[in-house]
Amino acid sequence: MIELEHVTKKYGSITALSDVSFRAENRRTVGLLGRNGAGKTTALNLMTGYMPPDSGRVLVDGMDMMTHARECKRRIGYLPERPPLYDEMTVREYLNFVCDLKEVVRKDRKAHTDEITEMCALTDVRDRLIGHLSKGYRQRVGIAQALCGNPELIILDEPTVGLDPMQVVEIREMIRELGKDHTVLFSSHILTEVQQLCSTAVILNVGRMIRTVDLTGEGSDTVTLRVSVAGKPKDILPGVRSIEGIRKTETLSSGDPGVTELRLTCAKKTTRGRVTDQLFHLFAAMDAPIRMLAPEADSLEDVFLHATEREDDVP
Amino acid sequence: MKTIWKKELQSYFYTPVGYVFIGVFLLISSVMFFVAVLQQHSGDLPSFIGEMSYLWMLLCPVLTMRLLAEERQKGTEQLLLTSPVSLGGIVLGKYLAAVTVLMIMTAMTGLYAVTVAIYGTIFPAELLVSYTGFILQGCAFAALDLFMSGCAATPVTAAVMAFGANFLFWILDLLAGQIHVEAIEKAIVFLSLYRRNEPFLMGQLSFAGIIYDLCFIAAFLALTVYRLNSRRYRKAR
Repeated sequence: MIELEHVTKKYGSITALSDVSFRAENRRTVGLLGRNGAGKTTALNLMTGYMPPDSGRVLVDGMDMMTHARECKRRIGYLPERPPLYDEMTVREYLNFVCDLKEVVRKDRKAHTDEITEMCALTDVRDRLIGHLSKGYRQRVGIAQALCGNPELIILDEPTVGLDPMQVVEIREMIRELGKDHTVLFSSHILTEVQQLCSTAVILNVGRMIRTVDLTGEGSDTVTLRVSVAGKPKDILPGVRSIEGIRKTETLSSGDPGVTELRLTCAKKTTRGRVTDQLFHLFAAMDAPIRMLAPEADSLEDVFLHATEREDDVP
Repeated sequence: MKTIWKKELQSYFYTPVGYVFIGVFLLISSVMFFVAVLQQHSGDLPSFIGEMSYLWMLLCPVLTMRLLAEERQKGTEQLLLTSPVSLGGIVLGKYLAAVTVLMIMTAMTGLYAVTVAIYGTIFPAELLVSYTGFILQGCAFAALDLFMSGCAATPVTAAVMAFGANFLFWILDLLAGQIHVEAIEKAIVFLSLYRRNEPFLMGQLSFAGIIYDLCFIAAFLALTVYRLNSRRYRKAR
């Protein structure tokens, strides 16, 4: 578990982080969201002990990073924004070097690096010079480096930036795998990425922490459906309102008078299936074709935009 | 510390730096050997070593420029600083790697002594003392230049700053004769790395010299650690 406790960090007159507190529980994947310059990298640099905070504390498994730096750092694997690679080394030499740094026992080193190389799909290039590798491979070597020494906590700074779409998918898949038995914390400005991979999102804006969003949906029991039906609202709505299990009905503007767009909130997750069935039968009976019917994820985008806009208004 | 030492030593010989350092040193010192010893039919190795020690000033910056500045430039220092290694360990590991290359090179100059031994006579004790002074002086310059590498943002500026610092120490000697204020003159003579080396070249094992050089090294290594640590506190990106 890693925790920031009322952390403030200034660079000269610029406040990069101001009184930020949050924690990443064990075996959780936490996404740090924010626009460029929001303080994401600073937060990660503080958490990994690269820089000390001006005030507040960084706690790793309850130990203070300032006083137990060695113990704390041993538990963390970090991929900074720019992967810290030595171009003149081969992948194998580099991973051996990192293992030595992370105090991996000599006799376990070979098995350990083999496992990591396998996991990061680097087996083919392990004897090539890092300087000759493509960006996607370099990123993977960077992640491999963070896994050396088998740390419980993996911290990644914008791991998918600058990669092509296939590589992005691969890296995300890797993060998902890692999340199964590690605590993973990564920063990103891509909302869908955070939504897909994380159980918690922490939103930062100009150095302040705005809110923490629970993405597992465990907290709330409601579920939202988006429906688009060919038919006028006045014909559609009475029928929809009569369906049991719908707590709230909102009409959205569809831009086409012949099409009705609705956002329906179901009272319980368990009733979602039944509500969907009933909608289908209802619209079929009305001879109103369904254009779209989909569950709406608790939109992180809305939360994010709303949160950061509101902050911008503050002078 | 050992890990860093090993890595730096490897990178000296994976990149041209190690070879350039040793090669250029041997090239220049061979010419000096030819002119000062062979052509003169002289067996005076200590004064030759004294002349050779001026090469430290020129070549130590090449040896140390990458050590810290490149880590900073390439962002690899983030790996080192977030690993369970102390700053002292990092600095010492890097310093010892530079010293190792310096020692390898010094061992190679043993060839000159062998040449003289074949065609003339050498005095082993005297030679050993001269070499002690020679190596200590090299180590002192390496520490000073490593500190410069810790201050600079790129290897090139590190090298330029290190040249500057080295020349400053050399110029101290010239100044010493020109300033007629006794206190200042004494202070300069006290600080001068070259003056400290003179007894060694005359075959005297100078404890004051040894202790001064060791203190000089320790001071600059400590300053380097201090410098790296203070930069962590006020890093701007």
